[in-house]
Amino acid sequence: MSKKYDTPMLDELEKGAFPSFVTEIKRAAAHSDMSNDLLGHTETCYKERVTHWKHGGIVGVRGYGGGVIGRYSDMPDKFPGVAHFHTVRLNSPSGFYYKADALVELCDLWDKYGSGLTNIHGSTGDLVFLGTRTENLEPFFAETSSRGWDLGGSGSALRTPSCCLGKSRCEWANIDTMAITNDITQHYQDEMHRPAFPYKFKFKVAGCACDCIASIARADMSIIGTWKGNIRVNQAEVANYAKTMNIQAEIIDMCPTGCMKLDGKELRIDNANCNRCMHCIAKMTKALRPGTEQGATLLLGSKAPIVTGALMSWVIVPFIKMEPPYEEFYELIDKIWEWWDENGKNRERIGELIERLSFPRFLKEVGLEPSPAMVKEPRRDPFFFWAEEDIER
Amino acid sequence: MSDLPQRQTDIGPPHYSKFLHPVIAKNYGKWQYHEVLSPGTMVHVSETGDKIYTVRIASPRLLSTDTIREHCAIAEKHCGGYLRFTSRNNVEFFVDAESKVAPLVKDLEAKGFLLGGIGPRISNIVHTQGWVHCHSAATDASGLVKAIMDECSEYFTTKELPNKVRLAVACCVNMCGAVHCSDIALVGVHKTPPRIDDVNVKNACEVPSTIASCPTSAISPNPATKSVKIKLEKCMYCGNCYSVCPAMPIADAKNDGIAIVVGGKVNSLRSNPKFSKLVVPWIPNNPPRWPQVTDAIKVILKAYIAGAKKHERVGEWIERIGWEGFFKETGFEFKYQHIDDFTFARETYRMASTFKWS
Amino acid sequence: MEKEEVKKIIYALVEASTGKKKLKQSDILKKVSADHGIEKDEVKAALRDLVDAGTLIFTYFGGSFIEIPPK
Repeated sequence: MSKKYDTPMLDELEKGAFPSFVTEIKRAAAHSDMSNDLLGHTETCYKERVTHWKHGGIVGVRGYGGGVIGRYSDMPDKFPGVAHFHTVRLNSPSGFYYKADALVELCDLWDKYGSGLTNIHGSTGDLVFLGTRTENLEPFFAETSSRGWDLGGSGSALRTPSCCLGKSRCEWANIDTMAITNDITQHYQDEMHRPAFPYKFKFKVAGCACDCIASIARADMSIIGTWKGNIRVNQAEVANYAKTMNIQAEIIDMCPTGCMKLDGKELRIDNANCNRCMHCIAKMTKALRPGTEQGATLLLGSKAPIVTGALMSWVIVPFIKMEPPYEEFYELIDKIWEWWDENGKNRERIGELIERLSFPRFLKEVGLEPSPAMVKEPRRDPFFFWAEEDIER
Repeated sequence: MSDLPQRQTDIGPPHYSKFLHPVIAKNYGKWQYHEVLSPGTMVHVSETGDKIYTVRIASPRLLSTDTIREHCAIAEKHCGGYLRFTSRNNVEFFVDAESKVAPLVKDLEAKGFLLGGIGPRISNIVHTQGWVHCHSAATDASGLVKAIMDECSEYFTTKELPNKVRLAVACCVNMCGAVHCSDIALVGVHKTPPRIDDVNVKNACEVPSTIASCPTSAISPNPATKSVKIKLEKCMYCGNCYSVCPAMPIADAKNDGIAIVVGGKVNSLRSNPKFSKLVVPWIPNNPPRWPQVTDAIKVILKAYIAGAKKHERVGEWIERIGWEGFFKETGFEFKYQHIDDFTFARETYRMASTFKWS
Repeated sequence: MEKEEVKKIIYALVEASTGKKKLKQSDILKKVSADHGIEKDEVKAALRDLVDAGTLIFTYFGGSFIEIPPK
C-alpha cells in the first residue's frame, strides 16, 4: 500500500453530524492509490488555501468531443496517483432512478479503472466518475457502453439534459418530463457527443412552476409544465384543510393575483386571473390539482454570471403540447440552433446572443409571433425598428 | 486489451423504465397527492389507491463506491433494489407499504445515514468541485458544505423553518449550479487580477480570443512581449481570461475568499423566481471550518426565522421588510461593493424616496 | 465530390490553421461548404470519418475545437 498522509485539516471535516466527503475519500483510499494521493493533494490545498489542479488537457474517447474532462495535478511528483485525475461523465437515466445491480456493476468497473470516487450527480446531472488515467478512458468506455451506458456532454455541445421526476412520483406534473428528457437525449446524440455549437447548450425539464430541477436558472432552454383552463377543486378536501389551516391567511392572502376567495366553506377561483404560480396547489395538494389541458411553457436563455451577468430564462413559447413525436418542438430547436450557429461568437450562450442582437429580431428570424406573455412590460423608449414592408415608398 | 467488450457509441442513457419500482411504474401519471410523514419520509397516494413510501437520506455527493454499495445493499434488502437520487443529491429509497418503512429506517440509521431534508427545512447543499477537483476554484466547496451542514443539521433532520431554505456553494464565479438563484449561497471570489506569464501566453494562448474573453475590455495586446497586458483598474477579477488562457493564473491564496448572496429562488410560488443578491462581499478562506462563514449564515437564518411569515422564502421576507431592513436585522455592514456598477446596475437603484430608516 | 476528396480538403484546412487560429466544427463546415459548394451535411460526414479514425480530434480550451492530434 502507498504512503500514509497526515491530514489534520481534512480529519477535522470528519467530525460532526453531516456525512463527510473526507470519509468517502478515505474509504476509497483504502483500496486506491489514486484516492490515497488525493487525500494528500487535498490536504495541501487546504494548508495553502489554493487549488493545485491544472487546466484540462486533450483527453477523451475516440470519435467523441466530450464526456471526459481532463484534469492534472500541478504536483505530480509529490502525488503521482493524481498526476492524471480525469473525470468521466456518464449520461444519467431520466429522473435519476437506478437499480442496485446496475449501480454495483458501475462501481465494480470504476474500482477497476478509476479512483473509486464519484459524484452522484454532477451539477449538470451526469453520473460523474472522478479521477482516472488517460490510458483507462477507452477501456472504461468500452466496458460501460457495452453495458448500455453512454457518455454525457461537455464542451461546446449539448449537455446532458435533465429533469424533475415528473409523472413518475408527483401529482403536479403537467408534462411527462422523463419521457421528454429521454427523447431529447436520444434525438440529439450527435449534438451531445461532437461539439458543434458556439458554446454549451442545456435543456432542463420541470413538470410545473415549482421547478425542482431549477430549469429557469440554469438551462439555455427551460421547459416548464403548465396548464390552461380551471384548477380542479375538491371542495370536501377544502373543508378538511379548513380544520387544520388558516386558508384565508396561508392561501388566499398569499395568492399573487388575488384570484381566490372563500364563499362560505367553498373555495372560489377566478381562473382567468390565475397565473399558475402553484402556491395554492402545493399547499393544498389533496384539494387542488392543475387543470387538465396540459402542456409546457418554453423559456430561453438562462446562465450563470460569466461573463456579463446572470440571466434567467424568459418566455419564448407561452404554450406547447409537448407530446410525442414532438415535431413542432424539434423544428423550433433546430431553427434556434441554426440562428445561433449563424450569429453566435465563440463562448456566447444563446441568451447572451439574443441580448446582443435583439429579442424581436430573434423571434422574427426563428418564426415566433410576439406575445405579451414574453415580457413583463412593453419597452419604455421610442427607439424601435421597422421592416421595409412597414414603410410607405 | 483484447478481452474488452465491443464499444458502442451514440446509444444514450439506459431507458428510465428499467429502473422504476413496480408501484411507481404502475402508477406513473396517476398520483393524486402526497403527505410528509416525518422530515425523512413521505407517502405518495395514487388514484388507484396504491401508495409509495419514500425515505430520504443525506449524501455528501462525493461518494465512494463502498458507500454506493451500502446504499445498494439496503435497496436490495428492502426496496427490490430500487433507489434514486434527488436533484439536491440526497438518496431516496422506496417501499410499497407503511409496515416496511420502520425496518428500512432502522437499517439506514444503524449504518449511520442521516434521514431528513423533506418539507420546510434545509435540504442538502448544491455545490461544485472546489479544491477536490477544480482548476479555477477560489475556495473549496465540499468542505464549506460539510462545515455549514454540521452547524445546520437540525434543520435537515428535525426543526422546521418558515419555508424551505435552499443553500448552494460555488467555488468560483463560473457557478456550476444554481447558486445565483438560491435562498443563501456562497461563491468563491478573487480580489486580485490575473498574473501574466508572457512566455506561456505567447506559446499556449490565442491572443485575440484572450482579449475577447474580457467582459470589461481590460485586456489589450502587448506587442513588446507578443503577449497581453491588463488595465488593472478595469479588471473585476472574474477569471474568464484564465478559462481561455492558462498562462493568466488568478488564484491568490491571501486574497481569494467567499461572498455571500441571498434571496434567490427558482420556483414561481407566490412571487416570481429571483436572483440572489450580495450581502457579504468577502470573507477570507479559513479552512477547514470557515467559522466566519458559518456564523454569517446563522445570523441570516436567525433573522429569517424571527421575521418571516409562514411560507415566505428568504427573498420574499426580505422584499417585504426591504433590503435596508435586512441589513438592519442582520447587522451586516453595507459597503461600496454592495452597489451594482455592472450590466444590470440601473435596475437596482432606488428611484423613489420611499425607503425605511435603518 | 468524393468523400475522400472532402476529407483531404478538411485536413488541409485544419493543418493550415494550426498555430494560427483554432477552428470550431462549425467554422470548418461553413468554410468548406462555401468554398467548394458542398452541402454542410456532406462535410460533416467526412469530418466525422476523420475524427472516428483519429486523424483529427476534438480539443477543449474555453470552447471545443477540431485539431490535429499531438505527436
